[in-house]
Amino acid sequence: MHVEEKQQKVNNAKKADKKQRRCLAIIKSDCEVSPSDDPTTYLAILNVGLSNGLTEECLLQAAASTAGKVTQVFMLPGKSYCFLVCATVEDSERIYLGMHNISTIGQKGAVAYLSYVKELPALAGKSEWDRPLPGGLLVISDFVNEEEESTLLKAIAEDGRTSEGSGTLKHRNVKHFGFEFLYGSNNVDSSKPLEQSIPSACDILWPRLESTASTWDWSTPDQLTVNEYEPGHGIPPHVDTHSAFLDPILSLSLQSDVVMDFRRGEEHVQVKLPRRSLLIMSGEARYDWTHGIRPKHIDVVPSGSGGLTTQCRGNRTSLTFRRLRRGPCNCSYPTLCDTRQTKVPQELTASLAAQAVTLEQQNVHAVYDKIADHFSETRHTPWPQVAEFLDSFDPQSLVLDIGCGNGKYLGCNPLLLAIGCDRAQGLLAVGRRKGQNVFRCDCLSVPVRSSSIDGCISIAVIHHLATTERRLAALQEMARVLRPGGRALVYVWAKDQRKNDKKSAYLRQNKAVNKERTTEQQQRQKQQQELEQQLPNNTPLPVHTNRTEFQQQDVLVPWKTKDEQKTTYLRYYHVFEEQELEHLVSQLPEVKLIKSYYDQGNHCVIFEKISKVSL
Amino acid sequence: MKLSTYNFLTSMAIKGVKVGFPLKLTISKKEVVESEFNPTFVERILPKLDWSAVYGAAQVAELTEDIPAVQPENIGENELLLQKLHHLLFEIDVLEGQLECPETGRVFPITDGIPNMLLNEDEV
Repeated sequence: MHVEEKQQKVNNAKKADKKQRRCLAIIKSDCEVSPSDDPTTYLAILNVGLSNGLTEECLLQAAASTAGKVTQVFMLPGKSYCFLVCATVEDSERIYLGMHNISTIGQKGAVAYLSYVKELPALAGKSEWDRPLPGGLLVISDFVNEEEESTLLKAIAEDGRTSEGSGTLKHRNVKHFGFEFLYGSNNVDSSKPLEQSIPSACDILWPRLESTASTWDWSTPDQLTVNEYEPGHGIPPHVDTHSAFLDPILSLSLQSDVVMDFRRGEEHVQVKLPRRSLLIMSGEARYDWTHGIRPKHIDVVPSGSGGLTTQCRGNRTSLTFRRLRRGPCNCSYPTLCDTRQTKVPQELTASLAAQAVTLEQQNVHAVYDKIADHFSETRHTPWPQVAEFLDSFDPQSLVLDIGCGNGKYLGCNPLLLAIGCDRAQGLLAVGRRKGQNVFRCDCLSVPVRSSSIDGCISIAVIHHLATTERRLAALQEMARVLRPGGRALVYVWAKDQRKNDKKSAYLRQNKAVNKERTTEQQQRQKQQQELEQQLPNNTPLPVHTNRTEFQQQDVLVPWKTKDEQKTTYLRYYHVFEEQELEHLVSQLPEVKLIKSYYDQGNHCVIFEKISKVSL
Repeated sequence: MKLSTYNFLTSMAIKGVKVGFPLKLTISKKEVVESEFNPTFVERILPKLDWSAVYGAAQVAELTEDIPAVQPENIGENELLLQKLHHLLFEIDVLEGQLECPETGRVFPITDGIPNMLLNEDEV
């Protein structure tokens, strides 16, 4: 028995040594702090810190129980270790002997390992807590008392509209009063007020707000969204849709404190929202910064001693009060403004018409010539429904692919005689190397005999034409070359990248957004900043952010090269609204629409040339 | 460019051109790419082709003796002719040369096997 106990002690000490060495190696590489074999006044707690939920209070208590005197605590955000500064080397020894491999302050009562260190880490930069708050941001503590808090919670528990499409909000529960906030469009339908308006229990807030924050030009809110967060829940960074709501936006925190992150480009400010406080976002904070809550169980917050400590989250209910805007946004912060980004001025249509040829030359043809090889590598798998169309022809039919690119569809059905044409010499060369029949031309003047072709496909081509007239002319060319009874399949990119609330493959590949690590809005903002450095300021059209929903119909879509330069080229696209393609086809006198469908973010039509034009 | 492709090309998009077909073909470099002969394939493709351009191509490709000036009837029964047509239409590959508009004389170059039929803005 005695021997076994002894053995266990030896094993335990060995384990502690091993753990000590491993942790010290991490700390050394992390922040250049070296261990000391002799006692110093600096102690490192090797395996417990802010990242695994240690509080300053808990650490000081454990140290105090050894009767060693601590003068300073250094906790670092995101780290599983921390440091103590002791009054004397003797105090340090007392704490080491009393805590190392003894104190159960680790996660789930795990034992802590300590070591003497030669120095403290150089604390890099200022803490995120020392930064000034975004302009227009105000947190008013104790805005309601505990009694009012429970009255409000009771009032909202009784009624309100539970948000539909809860699939998108799996991380929190949501209720709406006054108007429903629609998460699909990130907007409200002002023509459809809810039966249940904001509970009258909330009326106590408004006079209080007027006296506290009288400088705002504000009206009583008419929309309330209630979010219930459990510990570990969060909300991705977002800005409240500019055109949906006026300034300011109010948010009352009930039941638990939480830390909210405000971001603008690279700027990041953390704001603690205490329980029963009111957050007011106006001006810059409302329009130009995103706000979000990280999905965590524990927040890192400033400690009483000026350092950092941790705080566990409880269930939290937030009441966000807003007033509907009912019109376009007139803010002076364009980056995140939906009004600014979706507005297509009248002049745009006119200027597109005037510059169509130049635009297509610079932002379609020239780009494809430059990116041909890289582009071709990304275009190899035929879309199943296009292949199906090609398989629907009799053997020995003659099929023309207008805008064949690298010719990926020309070999799809070997029983056909397939010929392809494109504007991009680089892409044609790829197809030619594969032994395909290709020639170079413009889709507006196809140099092919009239009524000579059995089938025609044009996949992702005419959305590169800058005016309705040109898009129609391209379809007219297809109709011209088809023999009577011949059929054409046309694919164009859809503005709407969702169908029945399902995202297209194009959107699904945006992993960061799908995992709620960021939002489309934030990606747009980030790209805008990157582009400002790379490109001339006055691009003729808005630049689309890849793998996000389209904000407008005429856009420039970036293509980043794979080489080291990572050059960004901008391709012009006109993305089609629903029925837009069908409408064009209906203007062609000699064809009839056979079928139209939506396929992975594309609008598609099949039309047939009719045998005789009826007069 | 295979001569089957040549059979469909026209310069009719040029402003003022009425027919633009057949284009005047010049071959300065060609090669023969052997491919499997499928008589049915050739026979069924023929009705889609313009015989005058088939005959014209045969002349330029120096295969005049193989291809008659007028399309014979019951061509399906003439496997030898089908084989010759197969060779002409699907095996001769024009690498360098040109196509010329019969009405305006506008020249479209064939480079590395790809005819460049692109017109300038002011030609259409």
